[in-house]
Amino acid sequence: MMTKKTTKGKRVGMTGDEAVANAIAVVNPDVVAAYPITPQTIIVEHFSDFVHDGEVDTEFVCVESEHSAMSACVGASATGARVFTASASQGIALMYEILFIAAASRLPIVMAVANRALSGPINIHGELTDQTVCRDTGWISMFSESAQEAYDTSFLAFKIGETPEVSLPVMYGLDGFILTHALEGVYPLDRDFVKDFIPERQMVHPTIPGNPVSSGLLALPDYYTEVKYQQELAMEEAKKVIPKVFEEFGEKTGRHYSMVEEYKMEDADVAFVTMGALAGTTKHVVNKYRDQGKKVGMLKVKTYRPFPGEEIAKALKGVDAIGVIDRDLTFGSPGPALYTDIKTTLYDYKDRPQVFGYVAGIGGRDVLVEDYEYIYEQVLKNKGTEKSVPVEWIGLRK
Amino acid sequence: MTKQKNTLTDEEMKSWINEKWGYEKLPMGGSVPYPGSSILFKTGDWSPFKAVVDNEICTKCMKCFFLCPDSAIQMDDDRYPIMDFDYCKGCGICAEECPADAIEMKDLSK
Repeated sequence: MMTKKTTKGKRVGMTGDEAVANAIAVVNPDVVAAYPITPQTIIVEHFSDFVHDGEVDTEFVCVESEHSAMSACVGASATGARVFTASASQGIALMYEILFIAAASRLPIVMAVANRALSGPINIHGELTDQTVCRDTGWISMFSESAQEAYDTSFLAFKIGETPEVSLPVMYGLDGFILTHALEGVYPLDRDFVKDFIPERQMVHPTIPGNPVSSGLLALPDYYTEVKYQQELAMEEAKKVIPKVFEEFGEKTGRHYSMVEEYKMEDADVAFVTMGALAGTTKHVVNKYRDQGKKVGMLKVKTYRPFPGEEIAKALKGVDAIGVIDRDLTFGSPGPALYTDIKTTLYDYKDRPQVFGYVAGIGGRDVLVEDYEYIYEQVLKNKGTEKSVPVEWIGLRK
Repeated sequence: MTKQKNTLTDEEMKSWINEKWGYEKLPMGGSVPYPGSSILFKTGDWSPFKAVVDNEICTKCMKCFFLCPDSAIQMDDDRYPIMDFDYCKGCGICAEECPADAIEMKDLSK
């Protein structure tokens, strides 16, 4: 849980994008290859200012597309360099092919995603689908609730991904406009913190002169299965490493994160489960219900991949019913991304809540307190039903 | 950046190929930290067709030597081509390009 009181130093006003750019400037990566796209543009723009002003030692590669951006990142990362990029929506879609290669080659590239709805129709506003569709690429995937969290996750991402036994790329999202463009107070960190928290990257087989390595190779049916299974093991390893990294970060900064944040869950009968910036509004709603004496709580899933199934099941023990709020879409599927993962996870547990799914806030539509009230009413109304309740789209006009 | 040397030894590379290592032993991410490892993979069984030269017709122009995509053609002391069937994948480029028609693709599986 975030505890603001223990945070040290001066608070600086930054938008989410500026927060990420500032964090990356503190990290001072070896290579940044990125292409601007709304609402990520400020990250790249602001960071290129740091490059121009000589505040970072980064080699900034101005590429001609996101496909090239990720390709350049793969090449740079294979030499053992610390590499960062950022994108969103259509940009992620264009680099999709290389995302798999980055993960399979076990290159801990870090990418900030200014989560934006995918075309068509063309839309530039906040939605998590651009990142949730990357769930099978093999990247570690995290979301943030605030600019501060996005700032902090920039450091967490490098530390987690570069842990030798993990060696996986990490993407972390911040909701387009809601976080990327809104001004917030952020407690910054400095280079001394980075030196101590993220030590020099240790790559087992870097491609450098005098150390010949072939990478990005062909593996036919005789080896493909084994190489892919290594990725699955790396994800398992990440599940063990992430809580330790969060704990160390918490000790050093006073800002505590967890794979699943439990908010007022101790005695909750009903809970909202969500990811990203929606968690902020959800906390406000939970507080409102708590003031009325209603036992309502919230679960915020911070790490979407690896999916913290056990932690979620444990947190939901004793809860009667939950409303999973997805700011993402899937079509013809049993439900949206988070909803299906949670339902699949809970099937193995006897003590589990009833799960109801809601799609809200897509294409940047505001999710209002009244929407939560409606969801809460629906969850109570459907609780105990033995019928399958279809996922509902909130605020949909007929 | 790290400058560790982690190249596999010749014995390790040979054992990898012969034993078909599993996920525990394989280097991370499908990398091969061993230079020139492709020479250890015999690819000659990819096709039944092999390039066979008739030295009677060959004019020693060396076109096949330069064009072979697998470097599976070497020249002997008299500048006649010698096909290395451990690596000849039977693509037939040499036979197609030979100006003297001295190379024939033969099905050696029969």
